[in-house]
Amino acid sequence: MSSRLRAALTPYALIFPGGLWLAIFFVVPTVVMLSLSLQSGDVVSGYAFTFNWHSYVDGITTYHDQIVRSVIYGLAATLIQIVVGFPVAYWIAFRGGRRKSVYLFLLLLPFLVSFVLRTISWQFFLSDNGLLLGPLKSLGLLPQDFHILATSVAVVCGLAYNYLPFMVLPMYVALERIDPRLLEAAQDLYAGRTQTFLRVVLPLSLPGVFAGVLMTFVPATSDYVNASVLGGTSNTMIGNVIQNQFLVNQDYPVASALSFTLMALLLAGIYAYARVLGTEDVLEVAAR
Amino acid sequence: MNDLSRDPAFLRGMTRRRIGRRDALRLAGMSAAGLALAACGVQGKGVAKPTTSAQAQSAVEKYWTGKVRNGHVDFANWPYYMDPKHPELKQFTAETGITVNYREVIHEMPSWFAKIQPQLAAGQSIGYDIMVVTNGIQFGQLVKLGYLVPLDHAKLPNFTANAGARYKAEDFDPGNVYSIPWTSGMTGIAYNPKYVDTPPTSVLDLWNPKYKGKVGMMADSQEIANFGMFALGIDPGNSGQADWEKAAAKLTEQRDAGIVRKYYDQSYVDPLSRGDIWLTMAWSGDVFQKNVSDGTDLKFVIPQEGATIWTDNMMIPKSAENPVDAITLMDFFYRTDVAAHLTEYINYVTPVPGAQSVIQADVAEATGDRKKLLDAVAGSSLVFPSEDDYAKLHTYVGFTDTARQKQFENLFQAITTS
Amino acid sequence: MTETQAGTGADVAAAPTSQTVPAIELDNVVKEYTSHGEVVRAVKGVSLTITEGEFFSLLGPSGCGKTTSMRMIAGFEDPTGGVVRLHGEDVTGVPPNRRDVNMVFQSYALFPHMNVWDNIAFGLKRKKVADAEIRRRVGETLEVVDLLGREKRRPKEMSGGQQQRVALARALVNRPRALLLDEPLGALDLKLRQHMQIELKRIQREVGITFVYVTHDQGEALTMSDRIAVMNDGLVEQLADPREIYERPATKFVAGFIGTSNLLGGTVQEVAGDTAVLALGAGDRVVIPRGGTVAAGDAVDLTVRPEKITISREQPAGDVSVVRGTVSEVVYLGTYNSYMVVLADGAEITVFEQNAHDSSTTAERGDTVWLSWQPRHSFVLR
Repeated sequence: MSSRLRAALTPYALIFPGGLWLAIFFVVPTVVMLSLSLQSGDVVSGYAFTFNWHSYVDGITTYHDQIVRSVIYGLAATLIQIVVGFPVAYWIAFRGGRRKSVYLFLLLLPFLVSFVLRTISWQFFLSDNGLLLGPLKSLGLLPQDFHILATSVAVVCGLAYNYLPFMVLPMYVALERIDPRLLEAAQDLYAGRTQTFLRVVLPLSLPGVFAGVLMTFVPATSDYVNASVLGGTSNTMIGNVIQNQFLVNQDYPVASALSFTLMALLLAGIYAYARVLGTEDVLEVAAR
Repeated sequence: MNDLSRDPAFLRGMTRRRIGRRDALRLAGMSAAGLALAACGVQGKGVAKPTTSAQAQSAVEKYWTGKVRNGHVDFANWPYYMDPKHPELKQFTAETGITVNYREVIHEMPSWFAKIQPQLAAGQSIGYDIMVVTNGIQFGQLVKLGYLVPLDHAKLPNFTANAGARYKAEDFDPGNVYSIPWTSGMTGIAYNPKYVDTPPTSVLDLWNPKYKGKVGMMADSQEIANFGMFALGIDPGNSGQADWEKAAAKLTEQRDAGIVRKYYDQSYVDPLSRGDIWLTMAWSGDVFQKNVSDGTDLKFVIPQEGATIWTDNMMIPKSAENPVDAITLMDFFYRTDVAAHLTEYINYVTPVPGAQSVIQADVAEATGDRKKLLDAVAGSSLVFPSEDDYAKLHTYVGFTDTARQKQFENLFQAITTS
Repeated sequence: MTETQAGTGADVAAAPTSQTVPAIELDNVVKEYTSHGEVVRAVKGVSLTITEGEFFSLLGPSGCGKTTSMRMIAGFEDPTGGVVRLHGEDVTGVPPNRRDVNMVFQSYALFPHMNVWDNIAFGLKRKKVADAEIRRRVGETLEVVDLLGREKRRPKEMSGGQQQRVALARALVNRPRALLLDEPLGALDLKLRQHMQIELKRIQREVGITFVYVTHDQGEALTMSDRIAVMNDGLVEQLADPREIYERPATKFVAGFIGTSNLLGGTVQEVAGDTAVLALGAGDRVVIPRGGTVAAGDAVDLTVRPEKITISREQPAGDVSVVRGTVSEVVYLGTYNSYMVVLADGAEITVFEQNAHDSSTTAERGDTVWLSWQPRHSFVLR
C-alpha cells in the first residue's frame, strides 16, 4: 500500500471502531424498531410488515396527554437545573480555587450511586412523615395531609436532581474557560459586578448552558424512573407508557411507534432550539 | 413471631419470591431481552388447542413416544422457592440417579417470556427442561403458541394421587394438559394498624373516602381488574368485556376521587410501613416477610368479597432435551413427604393437602423454636386455606384470544398509566 | 486634557512638562502575597512620579514587580503598604471601574463574543454615554488605529496586529487620564512589533494621554519612552530617560540588563585630584571618572560599553584608559565585529568594532591586543 493511500485511509480506519459500534448498536436496532413500528399483529400470531401506521395514530391519540406531560416535565426540570446549576457551576469555576476538582467530585459523588437507588432514597426523604415533612408537620407548619411524593412536583424535582450533573458540567466547562482577564477588562472598562456578569460572563457561558440543556432535556423528557418511583396516579410519562407497552403488553408496534414519535418530537425540538439559540449571534445579542 | 424470626428457615420462607419480580426490570430499563426480541422480529404462530380429550391423548402419545430417560434435568425457577441446600433435589438424585441443574433465573414473567420466545419460535432448546410460570398472560401465550409439552399423566402418579382437587381443575389449564402447580399465593388487602383503626373487611374499604390519598393499588392489569370486579360482586372467572368495563369504571372512579395514592408494583411494602399509604392491595407473603425482617406490625386480610389466588406452575418447553427426566422430577414434588418438606421451608399454599398431616407429625416430633415454626405453618390459612377460604379465592381473568386480552390490557392500563 | 480634542490630533502633546499635580504617583508602595503559606513580597517599596502626557515605561525581567505595580495603578490589586495617587487623589480601595485609567492587556483580552465595534464601545456604554456620541467617538478611534471598515469583525477573525489595535482602541476611546499597557506587543512577531512601536508612539503623540508601558524588552522601552523605571526584585533600580539609562546605568543590574556591558573589578591605586586610577594588570591603566568620590584601597566595579572600546595591536597613546588582553573569540556580525578579549586577571571583555572600512578584522584569535576607551565612557557602579 502506498503511503499516500495509507494516509488517505487513516481517517476511515480511525473512525471504523466507533462507526461499527454505532452501526451495530444504534443504526441496526433503530431500523428494526422503525420496521416494527409499521408492523401489525400480536406476539402470538406474529407480526408482519404492513405499513401499519395506525400504531402511530393509536399511540398518539391514546397517550398524547403523557407526551405533552413529558415535555412539560422535561422543560420544568431543565429550567430548575439552570437556576440551581448555574450558581454552582459559577462558584466552582470562579471561587473553587485549587479545590475545583474536589468540589466537582463532591458534586458527582451522589451520582456514583445507581440512578434507581438514588431516586428510591428520595422516597424515604420525602415520605409523608419522613425526614423532611415529619418535623414540619409535628411543628404544625404543614397540614397533616400534605405530601410531596406522588405529585408532579416530586417527579419534576427528581428529574432535575437526577440529571443535574449533565447541566452543571458543561456550564462549568464554559465558565472555567472564560479568561479571568476578560473580567478584569470589563471592570477596567467601567463595568461593575452586575454588568460584568451580564455582559461578559453570562454570554460566554451560554454555549455551556446550551449543551447542558441538550444533555438534560432529552433524557429528562424520556425518563420513566422518576415518574414510576416518585409519581402518583396522574404523573405517568411517555417513557413509562413505552416501557409498559414493550414489557407488559408486548405490543411492540405501538411501543416502537411511541418511541419514534418521542424521538421525532425531541429531534424537532432540538433542531428548532439549535437554529434559534445555537448560533454565535445569540452570544452577541446576549452581550448587548 | 419473635421466636420464629430467629429461625432462618422461617425468614427465608417469608422472603417471598416476588422480590424484584414483576417490576424490577421495568425500573432497570427497557430490558435487553425485550429489545432483542423486538430486533429479531417476532414470529408467533398460533396453534389450535386440542379441544377433545381424544385429541389431547393423541398429542400426548405423539410427543412422548420414543422419549427416554437421559439421567439429567435442567430446572428454571424463581428465587426463594427452595431451600438453598436443595435437600429435595439431593434426595431425588439419590433415589433416581437423575442429576438436577437447578437455577433461579426467572425474576419477572414478561421478560422471561421475551427471553425464551425467540428460541422456542426457532425450535431451539432454551436450556431448561422445567420452568415455573405464573398463571397469567404469558402462560396463555405459551399454550397458544404451542411451546409446551402436553403432559403424559401416566407419568404423573403422585400428582394424580396427591394433588388437591382444585389444583386438578384450574381455569387456566383445565385437566393439567400442560402444567402442574408448583405453589400458590394470594392477593388481598394489607394495612398498617397504626393508621387504620377499623380493620378492613371489604374490598370496598379501598374505596373509602376516609382513606383519600392513602390507598395503594396494584399496577398489574390482572391484579387490579380482579379487585375492581370483587368490588362489584363479579366473579372474574366468568367475566366478559361488559364486566371489565364496569370494573374499569369503578376503578376510574376510585382514582379520580383522589383515593388512590399510586399504582404500585411490589414497591408498596415500604410506603405501607412508612405510612405514606395506610392500606393497599398486597401479596400475602410480602407482609409477613416485612414483619419478620423489620419488626413492623402490618396486617394482611382476605376481604369478604374475595381475593385473588395465583399459581406458579411447572411445565416442559417443547424443545426440552430431557422431558422424561423432567416429568419424573415434577411428579416427585407431589409425594406428600417431599411436598411437606418443601412447604415447611417456603411457606406457601401447597397443592398437596396431604402435606398438612405430615407437617403436623413433624410438629409432634420437633421441639423449641422449630416446633413453633412448624406449628405456625401447619395452622396457617395462608398455607393451608380452608374450604371457606378457597371459596373466596378467585383466579386471574383468562383470555380466549389475544384480541380480547389486548382490549382488557388497554382498558385497565388506561387507568394505571394516566 | 480636554475630552473633545482627543483623536483629532489637534492637541499633540509637547514633551513631558512637570506640572503641579502629577498624573500618577506611587509613594513607597509595597505589595505582599501569600502563596502556599509563604509571604511573597512582589513590590518592596516603590516610589514613582509619572507626569501628565508622559510615555513612561516600567522595564524589568519577569517577576520584578512591574506588572504588579501597574495592576495597583489600574486597581486590580490594592497595595499592602504605601499609597497610589491618581491626579493627586489617593485611590486605595477604589475599584478599577471607578478609576479613570484604562488598560491594554497582555494578549489583549478582547471580548470574543463581541465584534470590533461592540468591543470598542463597551466602556462608553457602561459610562452611559449617549448613542450618537458613542458612534462618533468609536468612529474616530477606529480611524486613529486604522481599523475603519472592520468594525463588524470578530476578534478571532483578525490578525494579531489588528487585535492589538482593537485593544488599544477599546481603551483609548474612553479618553482615560492614563493608559496602562501591559506588554502589549509581546505576542507579535518582530516586524510587526517594530511597526507597532512607532504606531504607539504616534498615537500617544496624537492623543496626548499619559502612557504607562510595562515591558521586559529593553529595546522597546528605549525606543518609545520619555522615561524608564528599571525594576528588579520589587525595587526600582534606576529611573531616568533612555539615554541616561543606557549611557550611565546606575547599578550593576541596570548595566547588565540594558545592552551589553563589560565589568571591570579592582582596587583603587591612587587618587590624584579629580583622577583615580584602578590597579589591574601590568601596563594597564584604568582611569576612573569623577575619581574624587573614591579613596585609595577601595574595591570598585567599573563598566564600559563594548562599542566605546577601541581595539588595537599597538599600545595607544593619550589620556585614555588602557588594558591588555588576548583575543579568545572573533565573530563577524555584518555591521560590526565582536571580539572577546580575556584580561590578565581572567575577566572577559566584549568589544564591538564598527565594520566601517573593509571586511578585514583588526585582530585574530590568540593575538595580544590593547583595549582603550575614554574615561568618561566608563562609570563606577554602586
